[in-house]
Amino acid sequence: MAMNPMEQFEVKPILEHPLFQIAGHDIFFTNQALLMCVAVAAAALFLTFSVTRGRLVPTRLQSMAEVSYEFVANMIKSTAGDDGMVFFPFVFTIFTFVLFCNFFGMIPGAFTPTSQIIVTLALAAVVMLTVVVTGFIVHGLGFFKLFVPKAPFLLLILLVPIEIISFLTRLVSLSVRLFANMLAGHTMLAVFASFVIALGAAGGILSLLSITPMFMIVFIGALEMLVAFLQAYVFAILTCIYLNEALHLHEHH
Amino acid sequence: MPSPEPDDLKRLAERIDEAERKHAQRKKPPPPTSLGIAFRFATEMVSALLVGGGLGWGIDWAFDHWSHLQTRPWGMVVMFVLGAAAGIRNVMAAAKELNAEMAAKDLEK
Repeated sequence: MAMNPMEQFEVKPILEHPLFQIAGHDIFFTNQALLMCVAVAAAALFLTFSVTRGRLVPTRLQSMAEVSYEFVANMIKSTAGDDGMVFFPFVFTIFTFVLFCNFFGMIPGAFTPTSQIIVTLALAAVVMLTVVVTGFIVHGLGFFKLFVPKAPFLLLILLVPIEIISFLTRLVSLSVRLFANMLAGHTMLAVFASFVIALGAAGGILSLLSITPMFMIVFIGALEMLVAFLQAYVFAILTCIYLNEALHLHEHH
Repeated sequence: MPSPEPDDLKRLAERIDEAERKHAQRKKPPPPTSLGIAFRFATEMVSALLVGGGLGWGIDWAFDHWSHLQTRPWGMVVMFVLGAAAGIRNVMAAAKELNAEMAAKDLEK
């Protein structure tokens, strides 16, 4: 009985016919697209309905929305300073989107959009584009100073390429971190789940043993909940740190 | 309606400040796990190598394609080494950051 733990990451069209065509390629509505739509819709509905009747003494839903606002606002103020608050909508959107995608992925049987590198890479690309555009708007060509550390001129020949590479690295590390964490966690859950079935089917004393991997699933599931939140937080705070560098160059070090 | 005493207001403000401070302290995210730290360093290093190697490959390809110069494999060799240097720099920066975080946490206790 072979269960493939990677099967859960397969992107499959759920509607039989392609929605439309772009340059000869059929564009399908996939399980990936569905889960991302659900995450966006859930986040939008939650935030809209929780604050439509704003009360002085908040209801439970409203205080959840308020806490998430404060959480992101504090995150931006502590890393990028008060003028970083211009980017509040941007950072808040990214944080909520990643958080909801991660959490919807935790529902058994659901697809995890953030376990696809193309999704996280696109998110990271948006972040890095914003950083570069902000840098050029705020500092003009002075933004290139970001790549010039304080060092003797001869060393700069070596250091400037290194700085440029390490700047480009962020695109990869930002996306790989989120993607790999989600991929690893969900694979681990699937592997332990297949142990339960394999042991249960083995019969005799082995069937009794199948309870042990079941306990493991509970623990890993709890850990994954933490990881789901933590990775959304890490993604958002790194966005803030990069935006801070674009806003203030080397001032705040 | 009688206006509230300034003293009362001041005391109220103090209590709000106090509550806010406690609130902010409680909301700190959980500290990174050792697995998380190890994973962070690994991605920093690997992605720098990937970017360096990829850039080098691209440079070689560009020279090959657009000019008659044969740089292969030197572009990739040089950029891969620079990528490794950038990776080590990134890991050191990350370690410094983590150290500062841990020190700040220890101070709070």
